[in-house]
Amino acid sequence: MADTAPASELVTLEVDGRSVEVAPGSLVWDACERAGVFVPVYCAHKKLEPVAVCRMCLVEVQGMPKLQPACATRVSPGMVVRTATEQVRKFRDSNLEFLLLNHPLDCPVCDRGGECDLQDFTQRYGPGQSRQSITEKVHFNKAVPLSDKIILDQERCILCWRCVRYYEEITGEREIVLQERGVHTLVDTFEHQPLRSEFQGNLPEICPVGALTHAKYRFRARPWDLRRTASICSHCSYGCSVFVDAREDQVARYASSDNPDVDDSWLCDRGRYSFPELNRKDRVLSPEAATAGGRQVVSYQDALGRAAGQLLRVGSDNGGEAIGVIGSDLMTNEEAFLLQWLARDIIGTPHLGHRLLPAPEISPLDFELGIAEIEECDQVVVLGPLPEQLAPVLTLRLFKAGTKRARKILRVEAPFTVAAIRKQVIGEGRVGVVAAESDREAALKLRTALTGAGRRCEVLTLMERVNSRGCQDLGLLPGWLPGYRRAPSPGMELPDILEAAIAGRIKALLVVNPGPDLEADPRLEAALKGAEVTVVVAAFPGVASRNATVLLPGRTIVEKAGTVTNAEGRVQRVRTAVEPKFAFPSDLKILGDLARAMGGELGAQPLAGPVYDLLARAVPAYRGAQAGLRPRWEATA
Amino acid sequence: MSDRDGAVPAADLDPAVVARIRELRTLYPLARSAVLPALWAVQDRIGYLPAWSEEVVGRELGLLPADVAAVASFYSMYFGRPVGRHVIQVCQNVSCALRGADDLLDHLRGWLGVDGEGESPDGAFSLEGTVECLGACGGGPMMQVDRYSYESLTPERAEAILTEIRETNPEGPVGG
Ligand code: SF4
Ligand code: SF4
Ligand code: FES
Repeated sequence: MADTAPASELVTLEVDGRSVEVAPGSLVWDACERAGVFVPVYCAHKKLEPVAVCRMCLVEVQGMPKLQPACATRVSPGMVVRTATEQVRKFRDSNLEFLLLNHPLDCPVCDRGGECDLQDFTQRYGPGQSRQSITEKVHFNKAVPLSDKIILDQERCILCWRCVRYYEEITGEREIVLQERGVHTLVDTFEHQPLRSEFQGNLPEICPVGALTHAKYRFRARPWDLRRTASICSHCSYGCSVFVDAREDQVARYASSDNPDVDDSWLCDRGRYSFPELNRKDRVLSPEAATAGGRQVVSYQDALGRAAGQLLRVGSDNGGEAIGVIGSDLMTNEEAFLLQWLARDIIGTPHLGHRLLPAPEISPLDFELGIAEIEECDQVVVLGPLPEQLAPVLTLRLFKAGTKRARKILRVEAPFTVAAIRKQVIGEGRVGVVAAESDREAALKLRTALTGAGRRCEVLTLMERVNSRGCQDLGLLPGWLPGYRRAPSPGMELPDILEAAIAGRIKALLVVNPGPDLEADPRLEAALKGAEVTVVVAAFPGVASRNATVLLPGRTIVEKAGTVTNAEGRVQRVRTAVEPKFAFPSDLKILGDLARAMGGELGAQPLAGPVYDLLARAVPAYRGAQAGLRPRWEATA
Repeated sequence: MSDRDGAVPAADLDPAVVARIRELRTLYPLARSAVLPALWAVQDRIGYLPAWSEEVVGRELGLLPADVAAVASFYSMYFGRPVGRHVIQVCQNVSCALRGADDLLDHLRGWLGVDGEGESPDGAFSLEGTVECLGACGGGPMMQVDRYSYESLTPERAEAILTEIRETNPEGPVGG
């Protein structure tokens, strides 16, 4: 509902005796919502165009002879809407009776039971009993796999068309159609071909009943078994909002949550179904240390003391520069900030990093364009297939910009030469350039050329992981201090740190939250073996944990609290959705305790809130942004 | 549904049919509008719509085969499998049902010698099993034979009509 119109242009109408004002062109459904009046809907969906096929939302509109669908009727001034009349009540009751005529009523074994609109509305508005004496219902196929991800129960479908329209309007892939007619109508794919979309996981969420279900969630939990936590998808740098639904200490599913600025309520399958990784049983569960008698489980205090002692000894014997500090872009902003402070100010080394790919040049211009702003650009230039591979949900935003907003989407092929691309950029308006981080240079060159020619042009680069942007903003890089200030004497990039450790020039390594790329790099093992001291904080066992002289248990992203920053620079909260299986301090507190044990004073509690305040003092753009805002960086062009 | 293929292979589709579909495409502003006539073009030639024909129509009109299949399956006038020389459809929706459509259908089953649905032993007729509204609610019970509707039927009248069709149109559909 576009409520940005000035008050004088609002339409005033009455809903159940209450006067409400809404923007012209709003639906009666919107007006009811504004009046605080709930209207049951099946086919209507906030992100889809109205079709008014289910008739669940019918209401009385004064002056109209028949009931009107609230989901498809536009408001007009002075309209009088009634939803609580006997006629509406009777109609809802009968409509539900019809819907249940052939419904299998297998709620006890249906994944949707407890969060199903058919169950809920029947409870609330429907008949307790059917008047039909039908003993044999019309039966359809149950548990039809539409792909390895989605299972369809054709009997439970209430033919609301949402899935068909989702594929038409949101992804454009049109993989599902309604076939046959009347009571025989079925949702299906052409000739039972499997679904191929990368966005299938949204289907069970838009289905109002239990017809479309997740293969990975089948018979896993009831909604009342789940504890829901609002957080951020940890799979890429796009930063989609999710609900982490946990059952005891396991993540049972990721559910989407609508952030219109980022995900627009859709998730990609890669992100949505990435949660089993977080349920891995093999974890680092207790502090360990290499002793004369071999590797031993030790107390937290003992491990901390050993780690501080060993790092201090290497520092005093060889200088701080003999120590390399390695983080990862799976860390929160608070952890990343604390780690770079620990490295620079306490350990006294310039050799720190979090990524194998060097970042000699970075700038806030890399993400001047916001995700939602893509829709505001007259033309959007997409450099090759990489951006959409890095952040699949971007594809849906581009599709929306191209269809609902009629923007021109220009997908160009490598090599990305300014001359070739400029020829294709037509007209006068605003241009957005969307690129993978590895193509930032080409993107910025295009920006320079177009702004030089008087066009408004902004760039958005997509990165690898959930907090790649935050680690860069906060200076967990050898060449950059927090807030895009160049380090006066840059240290070694991460690959060079590894090489130096192999060569014996780096004598101690502090490794925190090693990511999968680092774990997979063959140089890591040699580097850890080459260093005398290796302090590791890790959630999962691996090369780093096996080669640690001191090992501390780390947390996964769903066990942490703090903030992460997505590709467009938006700072968003991650919250503890699952308690770890051990009672040791968080990664953030480990870093704070380690600093203290080495004689450093943080000047704040090592908790997400206080550390955020600290980092916002160092990086003023971050001030107040933790509520989901994009920091405003000073123009550094 | 692969049983829908086989009878007529895709390679045997008359090139003139493809040419006709291409021509139909030019007659409408929207490609989707050409789906119905394009399906007729195929069915008129080979008697029914094999699954591959939906792909052909989709390809020629720039639509997904799924879209074409959705349309083809919606209408009872298109056949997804080979049928007899004349196709009989007896509407069973509310208006007709109230006026005895079930009895009429049962009677015709007995008279034609068809168990449930399918071809009569002499191959002259195909009786469809369940048929939704055919748009003649004012004249129930009704049946459609090939492309003509016959309304206000009694079992006797239906028999007489079918007997005449069998005798006067031994070759194929009436009203094509
Ligand atoms: S499968 Fe679900 S979303 Fe699709 S039409 Fe049926 S009820 Fe609606
Ligand atoms: S686009 Fe990225 S953040 Fe969004 S759901 Fe997919 S993996 Fe997760
Ligand atoms: S919600 Fe209005 S008709 Fe379906």
